Amino acid sequence: MSIKSGYFKKHLSVDLSSGSCTQLDLQESFIREYIGGRGFGAKMVWDNLVAHDFKVDPLGPENLLVIAPGPLTGLYLPSSGKCSFISLSPATGVYGDSSMGGSFGAELRQSGVDVLSVTGKAKELSVLMIEDAETKILPMPELKGKSCLETEGLVKQALGTHEINVACIGPAGENLVRFACVNADWSRNAGRTGIGAVMGSKNLKAIAVRGARDLPVHDLEGLIKEAEKAYDYMRNHKFFDLWQREGLMNVMEYANAAGILPSYNFKDASFARIGQINGDTMLDGYKIGDSACFSCPMCCGNICLVKHGKYMGTVVEGPEYETCAMLGSNLGIDNFAAVLHAAQVCDEYGLDTISAGNLIGAVIEGYEQGILSLKDLDERPITWGDEEAILELMHKIAHREGIGDILADGSLRVIKTWPKLDKLILQVKGLEQSAYDSRAGASMALAYATSDIGAHHTRAWTIAKEIELGQDWSDEEKVDLVIYHQTLRPLFDMLGVCRLPWIELGLNEEHYESFYSAVTGQPATLAELLQKSNRIYDLTRLINTRLGMSRSDDTMPYKVHSAPVRTGPTAGQVIDKQVFERLLDLYYQKRGWDAQGVPAAGLEKQFSP
Amino acid sequence: MSKRLAVIPELCSGCRICELVCAIEHFGVNNPKKSAIRVLITYPHPVVRMPIVCSQCKVPACADACPVEALKKTDDLVELDRDLCISCLKCVDACPFGAIYAHDQVDNPIKCDLCGGSPQCVAKCPKKALRLIPEQVLGESKRLNNVLSYAHMKEIEYMEKGEKKTIRYAEIGKEEL
Repeated sequence: MSIKSGYFKKHLSVDLSSGSCTQLDLQESFIREYIGGRGFGAKMVWDNLVAHDFKVDPLGPENLLVIAPGPLTGLYLPSSGKCSFISLSPATGVYGDSSMGGSFGAELRQSGVDVLSVTGKAKELSVLMIEDAETKILPMPELKGKSCLETEGLVKQALGTHEINVACIGPAGENLVRFACVNADWSRNAGRTGIGAVMGSKNLKAIAVRGARDLPVHDLEGLIKEAEKAYDYMRNHKFFDLWQREGLMNVMEYANAAGILPSYNFKDASFARIGQINGDTMLDGYKIGDSACFSCPMCCGNICLVKHGKYMGTVVEGPEYETCAMLGSNLGIDNFAAVLHAAQVCDEYGLDTISAGNLIGAVIEGYEQGILSLKDLDERPITWGDEEAILELMHKIAHREGIGDILADGSLRVIKTWPKLDKLILQVKGLEQSAYDSRAGASMALAYATSDIGAHHTRAWTIAKEIELGQDWSDEEKVDLVIYHQTLRPLFDMLGVCRLPWIELGLNEEHYESFYSAVTGQPATLAELLQKSNRIYDLTRLINTRLGMSRSDDTMPYKVHSAPVRTGPTAGQVIDKQVFERLLDLYYQKRGWDAQGVPAAGLEKQFSP
Repeated sequence: MSKRLAVIPELCSGCRICELVCAIEHFGVNNPKKSAIRVLITYPHPVVRMPIVCSQCKVPACADACPVEALKKTDDLVELDRDLCISCLKCVDACPFGAIYAHDQVDNPIKCDLCGGSPQCVAKCPKKALRLIPEQVLGESKRLNNVLSYAHMKEIEYMEKGEKKTIRYAEIGKEEL
């Protein structure tokens, strides 16, 4: 069998130092084994590490940035707008990636490119322009310091067209903030692991793409048949209307009721004034429209406008759950207009809202406890719900002013500077934790600890099962579920589709084997595809262990094991360290890694360049 | 009865499923750039998501501009005769809405033909932002909205058999229009 279609088989390789843009052919074996998206990215990052003898600075010119949609991106099937950004992470120093919705990935594919890699560093701040695989590097130093929204507008103006797709960074990316994100379609983000800083380190302000090619599909009729089944299933789902109406904001009430909503820097896991920052509040006074990623009927993105008060005129796409929780309840903010404004500020600066919310929460608590002095805070006191001080801090982070310069380097440097903050910051491997409190269940703590990119929820989101089942399931079931998620969820990133139709509406994962088979002409079962995504998990683990990580980096943040939730449904809960270590042992064993979490010695050969 | 494809931009989410199904229906390919309907997005001031598609004008500017009379108004459509068309693309420029499209791999301008009476974009739009409606109904919702904006809705509470109830009524003419 062979891959008959589904790819242009083109890799666009850009070296910003030399200015060379080369079209390389992708080998069929590479396509078959790594599929696309983060599969392509992990392998290319690995090859780059091998070529540099594992001495790669995430912010150095030698670091490789890979931008990869998947073979399903841009196709007529549910939610095919995903594109992965993969690199060594400036936040963790090890493997990092982040996936973005919107339509940037679809446009990139239509230009005839399956994967784009960028290395080197441009002499001046530049824009990479890709049109039907013709590539130009355009110096645009005038974009320096411009916000993401301004940048997208100015790039379109400079190129003389509105109908072009732009992914760009804001001041945070330029200033190498280690949790800077990449922004496209005005406000879709590749938010996590600091990919924006990688672009900044390369003097790459934006990537503009336009393409008009037919996307290769082996059996279009078969694909459409399967896609219609999936679309019909989604349209008829009982929660479909809720998703269209509230999008991810519906999670606020769910998380609050379950006791997993971060509040006051994770001191609490529910928020007394939830009614002021929930979906109903948004619908009552703020929502003005829907926003969907490419080909997605769920349109979980809301568009909100603040119509009066001091934040009047604020327009933001979202907020998503993570943003509303981390910039709302986690900072003690109960003013929805202020949450929207903070989200807009993060969009404009190009800051990851999850990391920003974590770090600012830790600063407030640190000051409250006397760990941070007024002098540390540049003589500007800060407290819970203090909207103005919080917005000021965001500005300082993005521009590296005062204390912002330290915060901009992420948890690891913050902890080095103020070791006592270690107990207040929820992070794993240097990546700040997402907005699902893992004290509700040990499997979620295991999921964060063993996530290859750090404490992010997209790798395994077992918390819903924890809430459903309570403590009433075995260690083995928990570990199996974490591993299943870590295998299936990356598959979505490899194929270039969103996981929400599956996780939120229960769309059967077997649709994806049909999609893959119809598109590539190579019949594959779900089990076969999962084998391949599982292999990528081994590969990213190998990257991390070769860069010096081991069991001692697969940890629980201090609060998770030693600071019980203060109030609410999960009050008093922590995760027992012994239980966690037992799960971790079992996890390594099932993964086939040794007791230190290092994959078998023979594995490396499988991935030789 | 003449029907028109009505676009309700307030409902559009920008998912572009309309573009996908249009190109599949007419060209048998997965390529939104070969669609006769495209979603244009402006953000953040103003926030607009607007599917742009041929209005099948009764006095079509495109037909006026066509040097070979390849575009003709029929009952429901402005129809493109591909045999006559020389693909000069003058119609693309002439359309005041930019609702005729061009693609370098397609011989003729790309223009909505209402899929022979049952447009796929209408059938597949997940937000019901596209509708095929009788011509005389066009503008209906705008008229209703206009009336409602004239009337200022008020709410009063009252007690009935010990139960609190509310009634809504319209206070007319108090707001300056």
